[in-house]
Amino acid sequence: MKIKAIILLVAVVMVSAFAKAQKTMDTFEVQVDGLGCPFCAYGLEKKFKEFKGIKKVAIDIETGDFSFQYPSEKNLTMQAVVKQVEKAGYTPITSKITRADGTVETNEANTTELSAESVVVTQQVLVAGKCGMCEARIVNAAGNIPGVTDATWKQELQMMKVTYDKSQVTLDGIQSEIARIGHDTKAHKATDEAYADLPGCCKYERLDQ
Amino acid sequence: MLIASCQEKKQTEIRWVHSKTIALADVNPIGIAQGEKGIWLSDGDRNRLVLIDNSGVVLKTIDSLDRPMHIASEGEMLVIPQYGNDEILRFRESEKEIVRTWDSLDAPAGVAIKGAQIAIADFYNNKVHYTENSNDWITFGKEGKADGDFYYPTDVHLTESNIWVADAYNNRLQVFDKKGNHLKTIGEDQKMNAATGIFVSDTNAYTTDFENDRVLVFDLEGSLKQVLDTDISKPTDLIIIDEVLYVTNYKGKSLSLYTQQEVEISNQEGHDTHNDHHDHEDHKD
Repeated sequence: MKIKAIILLVAVVMVSAFAKAQKTMDTFEVQVDGLGCPFCAYGLEKKFKEFKGIKKVAIDIETGDFSFQYPSEKNLTMQAVVKQVEKAGYTPITSKITRADGTVETNEANTTELSAESVVVTQQVLVAGKCGMCEARIVNAAGNIPGVTDATWKQELQMMKVTYDKSQVTLDGIQSEIARIGHDTKAHKATDEAYADLPGCCKYERLDQ
Repeated sequence: MLIASCQEKKQTEIRWVHSKTIALADVNPIGIAQGEKGIWLSDGDRNRLVLIDNSGVVLKTIDSLDRPMHIASEGEMLVIPQYGNDEILRFRESEKEIVRTWDSLDAPAGVAIKGAQIAIADFYNNKVHYTENSNDWITFGKEGKADGDFYYPTDVHLTESNIWVADAYNNRLQVFDKKGNHLKTIGEDQKMNAATGIFVSDTNAYTTDFENDRVLVFDLEGSLKQVLDTDISKPTDLIIIDEVLYVTNYKGKSLSLYTQQEVEISNQEGHDTHNDHHDHEDHKD
């Protein structure tokens, strides 16, 4: 009877310790576009292996969904995750951290709020790019501009469709921001330095302006 | 004028023509090498190599690898670059050993073997490592766009005299002598988007143009001879075995096979670059 009790106690302690260990991992979910190339996808995975203690790394090349778990006591920040994604040559579209205690953090930066004075319009504008990574960069940059509520970009058309509040931002201002990250637009050409900073696969044909 | 046009004189030429596509179940092939009993494919997504027969049936697997990429073979010897753990594995039926290099690697993406010679494309270091005796190594290249520089090299090929490199994200091929001196740059004007794989025969250099779903065929001087784009989907590597050109389709989960055929071309066409789908009907198995 005594032995049974001891075994039961040990089992309870072990299960409790295991459950505690399971609860002390934060879960990270990052969506990255343009992961169609295995060299790039495995490279992203490899760069995250530099985080000692990383577990359950999963990457879906088709969807661009990338997730992993990391010990919560190390308090890995969203900023560090975004930086590591960029180090691997990508621009994350969305990032989400679910902490072990249940709190959720996201990097959704666009805080555009509409008011009675808002005049929301949708327009298309020429933006040069070359690949899925370009698309992620352009859409992400446009989406983070105050006043912009939605943005998409089609590689085959070289056109960005953007919805924005005219009382907060102009189409010219949006194009200026896009050019700043290295992509030529109809109204603004990227600097040679910004263009040179683009990854090799994003080196599109420059627009004549 | 119309009659003259219709009666335009025809001439013939030997070209690569798509002959067959082999579907692969649950294999996203990246690298390809000739095996003694079939064709070896690296399946990086599943951390394994598979040996297939000429119908695509898997005969054998080598598991527990870490993102194997552009493999190479000689006889029963397989050389496997593991992108995930930076190791090059020399693999035989009865034994396996790690190839020791002088420099540490960061994501080896491709290897070539020719007797005691081994060449390695070192992806994140933007370098190529070469040994002529499996012991003493030279290393050349750095990140950049000038001749001799690399921007993420993914594959290498050894010929009698030279080392050919798929300089993937510079969208070109480069040729070096075996001391690492740059000799030639090829394909910069072809608007490739990730030149991921390379194979060199006695007469031609072949490369996979990953994002554009094409294979480009150059002569050894770098002139474009033919563009292959039938049934090619995100190609990563290629090889010629018994006069058949095999192209691995990473996204297409298949192998596209091309054979050389004599095809008719018009006079005008004779002056242009040739696509593989002119003047023939594709037929898939």
